[in-house]
Amino acid sequence: MDFITAIKNKKVVSAKVLGYIILVFLVILSWAVFKILTPKNFGSPGNLLSYFQASLIATVGAVGFYFVMVMGMFDFSIGANIMLSAIVGSVFAGKFGMGYIGLILGCIITGTIVGILNGFLYVNLRIPSMIVTTGLALIYESVANYISGGVEQTLSSELRIFGRMPGDIILALTAFATAYLILNYTKIGTYTYAIGSNEFVAKNMGINIKKYKVAAFIISGAFLGIMSILTISYGSSMVAVTGMASMSRNFIPTMGCFFGLAFKKYGMPLQAIIIGEFVINIIFFGFIALGAPTAIQDVITGITLLIIITLTTKVNKGDIVK
Amino acid sequence: MGEVRLKIEHLCKTFGITKAVADVSFSIKKGEVHALIGENGSGKSTLTNMLTGIYTIDSGKFILDGREVHPKNQVEANKEGISIIVQELGTLSGLTVAENIFLGHEDKFTKFGIKNTNLMNKMATELLKKYGFDRIKAGEIIDRYNFEDRKLIEIVKATYFEPKIVVIDETTTALSNEGRHELYKHMERIKKAGNTVIFISHDLPEILEKSDTVTVLRDGVYIDTVSSKDIDEEGLRKLMVGRELEGDYYRKQFGESVKDEVVLSVKNVSVPGLLEDVSFDLHKGEILGFGGLSESGMHEIGKAIFGASYDRSGEVITSDGTHINDIPTAIAHSIAYTSKDRDNESVVMNESIGDNICLPSLDKLKLKWKFLSDRAMNNFANEYAKKMSVKMVNIDQFVSDLSGGNKQKVVLARWIGKDSDIVVLDSPTRGIDIKVKQDIYNLMNGMIKSGKSIIMISEELMELIGMCDRIIIMKDGKISGEIDRSVEIGENTLISMMV
Repeated sequence: MDFITAIKNKKVVSAKVLGYIILVFLVILSWAVFKILTPKNFGSPGNLLSYFQASLIATVGAVGFYFVMVMGMFDFSIGANIMLSAIVGSVFAGKFGMGYIGLILGCIITGTIVGILNGFLYVNLRIPSMIVTTGLALIYESVANYISGGVEQTLSSELRIFGRMPGDIILALTAFATAYLILNYTKIGTYTYAIGSNEFVAKNMGINIKKYKVAAFIISGAFLGIMSILTISYGSSMVAVTGMASMSRNFIPTMGCFFGLAFKKYGMPLQAIIIGEFVINIIFFGFIALGAPTAIQDVITGITLLIIITLTTKVNKGDIVK
Repeated sequence: MGEVRLKIEHLCKTFGITKAVADVSFSIKKGEVHALIGENGSGKSTLTNMLTGIYTIDSGKFILDGREVHPKNQVEANKEGISIIVQELGTLSGLTVAENIFLGHEDKFTKFGIKNTNLMNKMATELLKKYGFDRIKAGEIIDRYNFEDRKLIEIVKATYFEPKIVVIDETTTALSNEGRHELYKHMERIKKAGNTVIFISHDLPEILEKSDTVTVLRDGVYIDTVSSKDIDEEGLRKLMVGRELEGDYYRKQFGESVKDEVVLSVKNVSVPGLLEDVSFDLHKGEILGFGGLSESGMHEIGKAIFGASYDRSGEVITSDGTHINDIPTAIAHSIAYTSKDRDNESVVMNESIGDNICLPSLDKLKLKWKFLSDRAMNNFANEYAKKMSVKMVNIDQFVSDLSGGNKQKVVLARWIGKDSDIVVLDSPTRGIDIKVKQDIYNLMNGMIKSGKSIIMISEELMELIGMCDRIIIMKDGKISGEIDRSVEIGENTLISMMV
């Protein structure tokens, strides 16, 4: 990383280009490691495309969740939101016979309502977002279980256009473009960073902190709704789990978000989330190709991601990390 | 000049049982630099914070050009023609320079909810060019600029829309000479345009030189408004404190000999980019001063001695031969340190005065079974808060509620309570009024008389000359000169070694 610091200080390349160089290097490195270990059944161009497609699912949720995280808040109900939204979308599309309209509106509206509830209760109860969303996750899981009647909800094959090319790509790209637009070309984007930087100063600038915090949760919820469309279209069904089991779905979007936060200083957080999720998927599929046991996969994935984030977020000596 | 711009009528503000501003009334004219002075806690910042919408008004009113105004935040204040440049950092990380300049005013650049970033950057670039800050790029993330540049950006942000009143709240203490001159230039420009500057500073010579009128507040009460031409520093001090300052301000004695006993040796200390091969000894009962330009490396000296510098080489050795390489060892060997950055590095803002005072002394406040004694902690904190005359409701009050001077007293109370033998004070009187300054000087005098040794790092040359037995001047991370206490030393002697 000293090499990176040297390049940065000498300003040979712009911060953004440097960010891309690091990310592309991570993609090549993660691909090369598994390609060497298992050359036959990993990493062909076709395989890489399918890894990328799979990564799009979590990426869509992560770009929405970024609005919450960059403000310094957290959401433990991501998994429960995806599960509930996918079940509602599936019920609207199948049971109510509303087809794609039901799927899209059911998922996005449910995700948005969850976002509104999260945001509204967080700003009004005045307790940490982690606690509010953990409590609410239990409720969302129960609601999903009630709606599904404890039965696995399957999306019929005629309604799975978003689970394959080019439907998934189009939906994901639309979501990324929307997130990019909001973050860079609207007041919400500016205020998101302002509140994340210094809430007190932002308040003194006349920014309605509560309003924009709720807005961040709403945006996050809506994007998680879109992620649930991709999730159920790709996986074809959804089971409503309880007892916080939905938390396992939090991990991948959250990790993508960490990439975004780490590369914020390079001025390319959303691009970093997209490429970062791709890296995570390369590692996952690499382990599958190796046939490594799940426990080993989880340990090595966890360690690898911690290394990547530690190196990319290298803080100055003396800076306090919380 | 002459027409009234702002009338302040019976203004009141209370925090808990503290009357921060009590029935204050006075007027400020158009086209003048109107200084607001007073001791810490006199109500200057509270008053201007109400004017700029940071605090709400309890009662009373502001009448701007004949119309009552009561902004609820800084953007509303801007719309009324009032802006503020604060003492600490007022820009936001993660945003671009342009976004910071126009924060809260995005509607000017927004159509159908979409912000025209190009137009915003273009306008910011034009403004930066107009102010002569061309090297600052509007589209860059502000984090890429240092504190000084970010202050310059704040000047643009606070003045580009030609406000009727610009409040400059103790900004100069945070600026280098170059930055100060830049600020003075714009104060002059604002004044010439017929607008008004409300200037808050503790630097009395600066106040007399740069302002036309001075209003004095004391304990939240209006005292007097005088013309800068008709008063001198001594007169201002008298108005601020309410009486003649009793006793001596600086140390009076010259020619006192310092004991030969060395209590601390600093040998060949270097910190990459900050210090280069610095060596000196500190003697028992000595006040050793360090002066220089802000970036000369003098502030790093304190950190290096306290074991708080990163990548430090060389040796810091106490009289018993202990090598100080980290903070716990420094504290264990009776070394205390107060940082220049009081709010971030010295006090724990959202903790009580009591906890702040007890923090390094917890070991001696433990009961037999290693549990902390509430009673012992309260007694200890009360004793040292009282000794330092901290202005407070009680020791349970949060440090964040205190004025700068009282925060500094809490920091000093902490180390006096710890009974440290070597005390490193970095800018101990920064942003502090003359009464508290005098208290601190008296305290230092008392400390050296009881055999303690002090290293005093300061950007105020008169303070160094008045208080120190020996002064070391730093330049570019190295020692550029050393001078013993003498009546003959003047500021110019030291300046010649600094530049």
